[in-house]
Amino acid sequence: MEHILLRDLDIPDIWQFDTYMANGGYDGLKKAVADHTPDEVIQIVMDSNLRGRGGAGFPTGRKWSFIPKDAEIKYVTVNADESEPGTFKDRQLLEKNPHQVLEGSLITAYAIQATAVYIYCRGEFWDLAHELEVRIEEARAANLLGENILGTDWSCDVHIHLGAGAYICGEESALLNSLQGLLGQPRVRPPFPAQHGGGLYYQPTVVNNVETLANVPWILLNGAEAYRSIGTPESPGPKIFCMSGHVEKPGNYELPLGITFRELIYEHAGGIPNGKELKAILPSGASGPVLVATDEVLDSPLTYESVEALGSTLGSASFILMDEDTDMVWAAAKMNHFFKHESCGKCTPCREGTFWLDRVYERLLRGEGTARDLTILENVPRQMQGVTLCALGDFAANPVLSTVTQFRAEYERYIQSPEPAAASNMPDAAR
Amino acid sequence: MAETVTITIDGQQFQVPKGINLVDAAKMSGTDIPVFCYHPKMDPVGMCRMCLVELGSVVTNRETGEPDVDDNGDPVVRWFPKLQTACTQTVSEGMVVRGATQRVRDARDDILEFILTSHPLDCPICDKGGECPLQNLTMAYGPGESRFVFDDKIRLDKHVPLGDLIYLDRERCIQCARCTRFCDEVVGDDVLAFHERGRRLQIVTISDPPFDTKFSGNTTDICPVGALTTADFRFGARPWELDEVPSICPHCPVGCNISASTRLDRDFGGKKVIKRIMPRQNEHVNEIWICDKGRFGHHHARAEERLTTPLLRRGDEWVAVDWDTAYSEIAGRLKKAGDNVAFLAGNNLSNEDLWELRKLAHRTSNTPRLGVWPAFMTGADAVAQAGVGTGTRLQDMGPDSAILVIASDFEEEAPVWWLQVKQAADRGAKVVVANGRPTKLDRYATEVVHYEYGDAVAVLNSFAARARSKNKIDADFTARVDGAAELEAELKGTRVPFADAAETLLDAEDLVIFAGGEGLTLDQHRELMQAAANLLLLTGHAGKPNNGLVPVWPGANLQGAFDLGFSAETTAALADQPPTVWFIGSADPAAEDAALVQSLANAEFVVVSTQFMTPTAAHANVILPAQSFAEREGTFTNGMRRVQRFYTAQGPVGDTLPEWRIYANIGARLGGDKPRISAALVMRDITQNVPRYAAMAYPALAAVEKQFPDVGGDDLYYGGTAYTNTGGLGIQWPANAEDESARLQVRPVQLDGYQIEGLFAVPVRVLYDRSTLFEQSEMMHTHVPEPFAEINNQDAAHIGIVDGEVIRLNVNGAQHLLTARVNGQAPAGVVLVPQLLSKTPIVIGPAACAIEKIGE
Ligand SMILES: Cc1cc2nc3c(=O)[nH]c(=O)nc-3n(C[C@H](O)[C@H](O)[C@H](O)COP(=O)(O)O)c2cc1C
Ligand code: SF4
Ligand code: SF4
Ligand code: SF4
Ligand code: FES
Repeated sequence: MEHILLRDLDIPDIWQFDTYMANGGYDGLKKAVADHTPDEVIQIVMDSNLRGRGGAGFPTGRKWSFIPKDAEIKYVTVNADESEPGTFKDRQLLEKNPHQVLEGSLITAYAIQATAVYIYCRGEFWDLAHELEVRIEEARAANLLGENILGTDWSCDVHIHLGAGAYICGEESALLNSLQGLLGQPRVRPPFPAQHGGGLYYQPTVVNNVETLANVPWILLNGAEAYRSIGTPESPGPKIFCMSGHVEKPGNYELPLGITFRELIYEHAGGIPNGKELKAILPSGASGPVLVATDEVLDSPLTYESVEALGSTLGSASFILMDEDTDMVWAAAKMNHFFKHESCGKCTPCREGTFWLDRVYERLLRGEGTARDLTILENVPRQMQGVTLCALGDFAANPVLSTVTQFRAEYERYIQSPEPAAASNMPDAAR
Repeated sequence: MAETVTITIDGQQFQVPKGINLVDAAKMSGTDIPVFCYHPKMDPVGMCRMCLVELGSVVTNRETGEPDVDDNGDPVVRWFPKLQTACTQTVSEGMVVRGATQRVRDARDDILEFILTSHPLDCPICDKGGECPLQNLTMAYGPGESRFVFDDKIRLDKHVPLGDLIYLDRERCIQCARCTRFCDEVVGDDVLAFHERGRRLQIVTISDPPFDTKFSGNTTDICPVGALTTADFRFGARPWELDEVPSICPHCPVGCNISASTRLDRDFGGKKVIKRIMPRQNEHVNEIWICDKGRFGHHHARAEERLTTPLLRRGDEWVAVDWDTAYSEIAGRLKKAGDNVAFLAGNNLSNEDLWELRKLAHRTSNTPRLGVWPAFMTGADAVAQAGVGTGTRLQDMGPDSAILVIASDFEEEAPVWWLQVKQAADRGAKVVVANGRPTKLDRYATEVVHYEYGDAVAVLNSFAARARSKNKIDADFTARVDGAAELEAELKGTRVPFADAAETLLDAEDLVIFAGGEGLTLDQHRELMQAAANLLLLTGHAGKPNNGLVPVWPGANLQGAFDLGFSAETTAALADQPPTVWFIGSADPAAEDAALVQSLANAEFVVVSTQFMTPTAAHANVILPAQSFAEREGTFTNGMRRVQRFYTAQGPVGDTLPEWRIYANIGARLGGDKPRISAALVMRDITQNVPRYAAMAYPALAAVEKQFPDVGGDDLYYGGTAYTNTGGLGIQWPANAEDESARLQVRPVQLDGYQIEGLFAVPVRVLYDRSTLFEQSEMMHTHVPEPFAEINNQDAAHIGIVDGEVIRLNVNGAQHLLTARVNGQAPAGVVLVPQLLSKTPIVIGPAACAIEKIGE
């Protein structure tokens, strides 16, 4: 099947403007502008039931429909902060198929009648951002963005902004703050970004993930129904699965939603190296609960609902696989350490909880853990859940809670025997 | 009352104003929701998560609009599945809140446990210990026992200077952002910020010089822990040892209510001494804020340089004498002097002092000369007619209001008013700033008017002309105003150079004018005040709250001096008819006015009551040691005509006496009554003799009422450590315009500018100066600049002067070496000369001048 998103796998030169144009490039935008009113575009995307690929899976068309029609200034912000451990799909899209992302964001901008698109790239994407500047100029030269796009009276410019390397700036309201030059901390909501007072410079703003937007041109060209025929009714469309960890063929895989874990892991990604058993799966990077690789899990379809039913989340579909030799305590410690490092520090439970847990894990891994530490590892994440300003506090609780409950014996072993973790699973970067 | 909504808190229903914050609403209804980051004077941030509640709303039937009820007939409530932070909610009809359930308690316990994991718990050596929201809330919430391994605690810097006035203890900081939000939102000074993230999140100062704001001390009051402490008080005393004495700041016309925290102190001979100054809540005056001059400018009260005994001049020597000797000497002289004596009242004499000084003066003559100092502003009659209405609260002014600030460098002259006007602008009030040069308030102005110095009256007069041509005259109101028709006729055809500014003011429902005296002669100032009254009375912006005129008097009690019969015109006339005998009460004209230095030197006899040896006192024959505001009772009348009491905070220094008693004692020797035994009785005399002050008896001035937000007391966590007002809210005397039966007067104003060829000097005022009292606070010395002159960039280039260079200023026949500031602030042709940066008088009014470059 031809790729819809990772089209570079079929047409390696698609990043080039001419190649993109020769392969139907910007036809979606042209069609939107020529054949549809902005509201119709929103309706088409609503009908397609495209769901946000940034993690939360929120219906994209609905999000757009929240933008008040009376607002004079509106913005589209492309979330290219891609910082979730194990996520590397947006980068491939922006590097290898950048015009499609631009086209998607321009269609979005047309749908809400925005006057500017801001692409917020994580700081490490600086080379990619330079390239993107060139792509933007190519599109401008062809009157696909800038003044009077395609001869209409709608004008919209595209700007790139580089972050400074904070995970939290992928959270949409922290992203907006950062984009405004403020400290990258989430905002109190409501007002939500789409509302008056909630968006970029407090103007109504749509924030969408790169991959989400890459779907949009295809939907415009092929229609909502065709899109819904891919995947499942609740979770339609193709999804890029980022495969990493103990996997034979790591990388990005574009597959329809609804395939099973087993198909993804064993058929497409080549299974687990060295013939080892798969022990645990992180389906959504560090931020979702760990799933034990049971048959029930492996035979479940990959949709937003079914992964949730398993007690985890699909998130941005960044799969980190862990084989039978993986030390789950060490893995959880490392993930907690990540969240401790990335917590913005705004709310008490997240700031203090991740710090506290980190100290406990340090002691545990040094072999100085006590039985009381185990109760702390069970209690403290619960104290963090559901009481924070953004989801990072919940994310941080997930790896700890899901390992303490599902791999308790491994924790107990740390308390009983002060052996450090197996060397093979303690890479240099652990601390 | 404003529109209300019904909310239910823990099963009880309350009516609360629509749209207010839920924490505030709960507070008003008598329910405490614990908070750390929320503060009722600032927007919520939802950071600490302490205020978690169960939140729901009554389900209403879409068709009927009636609440759905369950089988028991109780309304059905749709609850949020998660706990919500109360501080980020505004109340709406049908809101249901549970704050007392186990689930909520547990969640708050959890948050408190989290906060304490990183807290150093050094309460025993913490300045906040005893008045600490974290301490108090730990008593109410949180686990009794720590699960946190002590060695896991984070260690951070404990003495981080944020500038030289405020210190930060990084371990104690709980990252609530109250301090940063205060600076950013309330003041608008971009001086503090968070740095880093996560557990490394920390407060830093980002300005140069550090923590560069005139309001820094307030952050220590609202900091919910002991993370921020002042250089003045840190390690100075424990809060529970302190005795709080209500007082009034003696430094400016705002009249901030303060509390003097006092203690019997080893360093003060075991006597009571002020350990710190704190704000005291008065929502009509300073709310819960004070500026750093008020907070740190109290050290004069116990300065070593205080004069402690009467001094008599014997040749070139000062001889300490007892009071009787001093009184006899003075009484003898005054008896002979008759009309040849002039009385000069300083700007922070209390009303009681002024009254007794006036009585004394009347013993010497039927028409005594009663002058004020400083004497560059006047217009008390305009204030009496059109002064701001009683009940005015700047914090109530918003989108429907307009505020004009004219001829004042507002932040330097009246810091807390500046703060309130700035916040009014944030709320949507239209602010017009008019002056001969840019000032900081320009940032928040809807319209900025930069007129040529000298044109202030014409500009304000033209606003009245605009009111006429745009039909903004309030005919109902002007029916009470004599001279309105004539004035209107006179205004016809007046050119309106700043029409947008005029209309901005005229379109508003409420209008307050703050009038200063920068760049005006005394004659012009009288006209400026009249022009303000004209505008307000013609347009009906008088006689009601949030409307009218506020003079930005220099000093804490010039209003009182005017009320009690002293005048600036009298002072001005002294130059032409110098008296042979001077009687000066706590004023230092010799530091400001070269002409007066001469007449003091020529005088036969000079009496000065003062706390310190000043340039003026140096001319005295008798010096009478006076008490500071801290050692005695009294009242000041602020610029909004609010008469406010201050109480005795510390024991007397040496043999000093309150000035009212000194004057009364002298009066008694001239055949006057026996002195009253207390300031309260002096005020009783005033109430019986001065109609405006009829209501100002001490018990009435001491009356308080419940104010919102609650501060002090058990509510520390909520409003901060500003003190509850127990000393009295004070009473404003009503302007004539408030009396509907009173006739009011307007008249055309004189528009003459001044004709000065070439460069001219304009005296301006700065908050941090070397005035008699303030210069005694050593900790502020680094904040007081060396004497300087601001020169226009082109003028400077023309003369060949660069910023920072020392220049010679020739003015009024004298030469002064000053540091040049060339920073784009001075208009062309104008040299701005701050007052009281040295003890040498330079200029007191606009005057021709020349600037010389010194050598190469
Ligand atoms: C801590 C945190 C980090 C996030 N990081 C990203 C990110 O790197 N990229 C992204 O697209 N969305 C991220 N999100 C989700 C965004 O907040 C937001 O939901 C998303 O950009 C919306 O786009 P979508 O509707 O297209 O998915 C993050 C959310 C949280 C709470
Ligand atoms: S949950 Fe964590 S990352 Fe999110 S706002 Fe709170 S402290 Fe910041
Ligand atoms: S210093 Fe005080 S006010 Fe500032 S953030 Fe820390 S705890 Fe809050
Ligand atoms: S604003 Fe004026 S009255 Fe208030 S504290 Fe400052 S100097 Fe004192
Ligand atoms: S989060 Fe509500 S008071 Fe701090």
